[in-house]
Amino acid sequence: MLNYDTYKRFKISLDFLLKFKYGSGLRNSPVSTGFSLDEQGNIEDPTNTAAVMENTYQLGPSKQFPVSAVSDILKEETNNNLQEVKYEAQRCRELTLTLCEGIRNRVKELLIPRYKTVVLVHIGQLNGQGMQISSRCLWDPSSDTFTSYSFKNSSLFCSATVFGVYFE
Amino acid sequence: MDDYQMEEKTAFIVEEVSKIMKDSVETAIGENSYKHSRVNQWTTSVVEQCLIQLSKLGKPFKYIVNCIIMQKNGAGLQTASTCFWDNNTDGSCTVRWENESMYVIVSVFGLAI
Repeated sequence: MLNYDTYKRFKISLDFLLKFKYGSGLRNSPVSTGFSLDEQGNIEDPTNTAAVMENTYQLGPSKQFPVSAVSDILKEETNNNLQEVKYEAQRCRELTLTLCEGIRNRVKELLIPRYKTVVLVHIGQLNGQGMQISSRCLWDPSSDTFTSYSFKNSSLFCSATVFGVYFE
Repeated sequence: MDDYQMEEKTAFIVEEVSKIMKDSVETAIGENSYKHSRVNQWTTSVVEQCLIQLSKLGKPFKYIVNCIIMQKNGAGLQTASTCFWDNNTDGSCTVRWENESMYVIVSVFGLAI
């Protein structure tokens, strides 16, 4: 019976062999290149097609999550997109999504190695209602962090948060 | 068989997490009416309960729990989230709950280590 460790070791050595033989970035995109699926056919776990990362034996991130740069991105994106906008349900629904994706793409451009990001955007109408937004995380505070920005104009408010989580 | 069991122990299972979140909200808020002075305490307890139950699952995940409590006032709210992660191992779950005087939205993001 094949156990997970043996399977993992076999897969890593197989990937190395294939990479060596075919000289391509095979391990980075196992699904897009045709023969990787065939080669691993009889042992492949049908539910898991993730790229198997080699051990780096790194204890922590080489480059920390750049909080101030991401803060600036949040400020710019929200101010540019929401400066004089009046709250309208349909329009704000699309704006929330566009803002979210815009922020995520800009953070991706920063190319911070081994960091996963989660972007959260809330846009609400100002109507005298009371509201509380809070979040708590279970992570490693030495490598993971977050930043957030809130914006208000005469008819709406917006709260944008970006969490950066290190992938060990 | 071994591989499948390994997957079960290290996968983000949405139903399980969603049940945990619903239970936390019910326990923390129940039938209370919106009171500005108590909202802070409610959000804290919802989020803490969620995290405690999630960590008890013993899975190799880092969690981000977000909770929004909003008074029912006819005002509109839009929320969106987008993530840059590994789709095969990471997952998220959002639960919407309401009672007569408020809306509660809880989101949990689970990122594999």
